[in-house]
Parts: sequence; C-alpha cells; structure tokens
Amino acid sequence: MILRANGLRRSFDGVFAVRDVDLDVAHGELRAVIGPNGAGKSTLFALIGGQLRADAGTVTYDGTRIDRLPPHRRAAAGIAVVFQGARVFTGMTVLENVMVGAHAGTRTGFGAAIARLPRHRREEREIRDRARESLARAGLEDWADRDAGALPLGQQRVVQVARALCGRPRLLLLDEPASGLRAGERARLADLLGELRGEGITMLLVEHDVAFVTRLADRVTVLDLGQVIAEGTPAQIRADDRVVAAYLGATA
Amino acid sequence: MKVLIAAAVVTLALPVFLDGKQLGIYVLAGLAAMVTVGLSLLMGQAGQISLGQASFYAIGAYTAGLLSVHGTAPVLGLLAAPVVAAAFAAVVGAGVLRLRGHYLAFATLAMQLILLSVLAQSTWAGGAIGLQGIPRLSVGGFELAEDIQYAYLVWAGLAVVLVVAHNLVRSRPGRGLRALATSEVAAAASGVPVGRYRLAVFTLSAAFAGLAGGIYAFYLGYLGPGSFPVLLSIEYVVMAVVGGLGTLAGGVVGAVAIVLLVQALNELATSPGMPSYAPSVLSYAVYGLLLVVVVLWLPRGIVPALRGKERT
Repeated sequence: MILRANGLRRSFDGVFAVRDVDLDVAHGELRAVIGPNGAGKSTLFALIGGQLRADAGTVTYDGTRIDRLPPHRRAAAGIAVVFQGARVFTGMTVLENVMVGAHAGTRTGFGAAIARLPRHRREEREIRDRARESLARAGLEDWADRDAGALPLGQQRVVQVARALCGRPRLLLLDEPASGLRAGERARLADLLGELRGEGITMLLVEHDVAFVTRLADRVTVLDLGQVIAEGTPAQIRADDRVVAAYLGATA
Repeated sequence: MKVLIAAAVVTLALPVFLDGKQLGIYVLAGLAAMVTVGLSLLMGQAGQISLGQASFYAIGAYTAGLLSVHGTAPVLGLLAAPVVAAAFAAVVGAGVLRLRGHYLAFATLAMQLILLSVLAQSTWAGGAIGLQGIPRLSVGGFELAEDIQYAYLVWAGLAVVLVVAHNLVRSRPGRGLRALATSEVAAAASGVPVGRYRLAVFTLSAAFAGLAGGIYAFYLGYLGPGSFPVLLSIEYVVMAVVGGLGTLAGGVVGAVAIVLLVQALNELATSPGMPSYAPSVLSYAVYGLLLVVVVLWLPRGIVPALRGKERT
C-alpha cells in the first residue's frame, strides 16, 4: 500500500466532517472518493494533503507516518496536490507556475541563488526543462508565457496538473479536477489522467461527478456523512443499494 | 537592459555635477533606496509588511558606529552592520512569521519603539544626545573623507543590494516567495516551506537596511535616536508602495521620488512666515495624500504603470 489512512477523524465545531475513515490505496491505483455534498470528501483530501490536521487517526505514506508533517514536507515525500479552486500563482507566467511545482525535490537555497553558484545554474536549467516537459504533456506549450491568472478556469486547472507533474510525484491528489470544465476539457483531462495511471502514478481522485469517475477509477470509495459506506470496483459501487440510496438517489 | 545601463551611467556621472547640499540628498536617496528595495521584496514577494524597517537601519548604524568608536577597523564595522541587523530580524521574525496576518507589522513597530527608548536611555549608545565621534570610513589606509566618495560608496552599496535582490527573484527560492505571496496553500503543497522562506526574506531585507545604516553612520559621523523615528519606517513603506511593490526598480524610483519630495516640502515648510509645526504637519499630510493618490490612480505603483504603458 502506498497510502494508508487509519481511523481518521476530524470535526468542526463539534460536527464530524470525517469520522473513523480507513482507506488503503495500492501502488499504481487510481482511487476515486465520491459522495454527496457535505460527505467529507474535501476534508479527507485536506487531511491527506496536510492542509488540515486530524483530530485522531493516522496517515501512512510509503510506510512512514505523515499525519504530523506540514504540507511542504509531504510534497518533498512525493505527494502532489491539485486543488479544486483556482490556485494558480497569479502574476507569474504559466511556465513559472509549473516551475514552482519542481520545488520539492530540488535544492537551491537563498545563498546559492544569490551567489549564482554553478549548481544553481545547473538546477535552474533542469527545472526549466522539466517544466516544459510537463507543459507539453498537459498541452499547454502555447500558453507558457501568459500570466497564469489570466487563463480561463479550465486551463488554470490544467496548469495545476502540470505543476503537480513537474514535481514528479508518486502520489497525486486531485480535488474535483473536472468541476467547472467544459465537456471537451473534461475528456482531455480524463485522457491525461489515464496516461498518468499508465505510468504508474498513484492517484486519489475526489469527485462529485460519478460518470467522470467510474470510467477512470480502479476502485471507488463512497463517503456519506463523514463515513465510508461502500468500497469496490465501479461496477460493484453502481450496484450497491446503500450507495444508490445515499448518493445516486439523492441526486436523481 | 538599455534603461538599466543608462540609469547606471547617469547616476555614476551625477555626483560630479552636484554641489554639497545636492550630494547630501544623493546620498540620502541612495540609502533610502537600499532600504526600500528590501522592503519592496518583503511586501511584494512575501506578502508581509514591516512597520519598523528604520529600526534595522538604526541597528546597522549603531553597530558600525559603536564598533568603530571603540577602535574596531571601520570597514569591519560596516561589514558587521548588515549581519547584526539580520540577526535581530531573525530573532523577531522567528516568532511572528509563523502566524498569519499582520503580526509582523505590529511586532516590527513595537520593536522600533522599544529600540528607540532603549537607545535614548543607554549611556553606552550615547543616550538621547547620541553617539559622537564616529571616524570616517577607511579601507586599507585610504580614508573616505569627501562627500562625493560617500556618494560612490552608496552607489556601490545600492548596486550590491540590487544584484542580490535580482539574483534572488529569478531563482528557485525567488519563485517560491512569489508563489507564497499569491497562494500560501498551493505554495506549501508544491514544497515551499512558507514560514522559513518568509523569515529568510525578512532577514535579507533587514540586512539591506543594516548595510545602508552602516554607510549612514560613517557618512554623518554622528547618530542619535532622533535620526530614526517611526515616521522614517512609514516613509519606507510609502516609498515601496509609490514605486511599485515587487519590482526592484520600483524601490529605487519610489525612494528617490519621496526623498526629492520631502526635500521640496522642507524648503517650503521652513521658508519665512511658516509656523514651526509646518514641517511635521506637511510631511504627514503629504504621505497621506500621496498614498491615496497612488492607490486611486496608480494602484500598482509608478514603475509597473510605466511598464504597462510601454507594452501597449
């Protein structure tokens, strides 16, 4: 297992957002987490990414506990995050945005940068090459020199995916990456995620859109009211009565 | 690049044509620019504000002054100035920079108020009368005695500050800083250690101010707590905002513009027939007005506005 959550619990003002959640994600798996609004998907996502701390429970990544680590240390361990909202760095070009993604795993500090040491130059070239490569994979080459904040929302999401890729993650967390995208953008994103799975990158995909998920995911975890109510292959989930009652029924 | 070379050539040639009083303004503008470039970096790149930047200027000045009064080679005093100022910033910043919000602004303001009262009451620092008899700066037997030599020293000091800041901005840590200024959450998730980076850029901005303060000590030969009022810290903030946050040229342009403006105001306020309170009233009123005008019509500052025009 590359990711293991055990007894995760988090409440806000006495109300449980996530309650005793266990989650095991295997190497190379694309796991979807679905559930109706308010099911605790985004809270679970933030507990794994490090944006929130758990009240109780543990998160283990690749055999080490990470639940007390700040987000930048989790990034250094190989976890990359694509947020739901527009979280690009405005005022920076698309290329620069993606270059920030390489922050984890590169080393040049203040001193080496200011002194323009040879290793700074070497690493800078490497970061730039990696960023261009990630841009190309995400189909953003033509946007490289544009201000990332000026892009349409859909493209900003893709910038985030490219930024995450530039860090060469082993685990990629995506929070509703398809929300707000048009049909064409959605299909392209699905293709890209499929490709990444082919390369062995483990993904945890939190999604509201069941159709988007069931085509892509290896396994699906269903949350409702902060608890796991079902887990299985997309086919099993579609046939599960509790899921239909809690989720599919609620949206129909 | 052309603009940069032209600016370097003009500012290098300028001191030759200036009289004594104008040289003084040149020196003060250059020193203010050194401080403001650091503050602009802190405000524009790291999204934090310091209301006590003049205290690092003071710490640098007193470090250089005290060391050389007590017999240390002046050049060592000058080198120690940014180091001691940076150390103070590291201590003050370590606590407050991990918190979100405006804690740094309050902490630095408090720091300056404490520093001023400590300086005024410490006999070892000359007390309220000030520290006198600071020798001229000398490097290997060559003494800088003329104002024009200090003008060139300031030019060199500003050049060092600009090169350091430029190299930082266009690098991995520089991108990390700019990223965390717009989205702390996304920057941290990309591996940027937000707290540590903020502390580093705050420390660097203090080092710039400390170096400027060190030059100031040798230039003036006298230091008093009255030379570093809170108003000076506010002035640096106004300079950074007016010039344009997050641009290096903005720090320089803002500092020079404000120093010239203050000079003109002083002439006006001390002209015959003006009441004795005119200088302070005028300066506060003009800072206020200037901020309002800039925020209304040039919200991003002078330099970004000029650059925007160039492009279209």
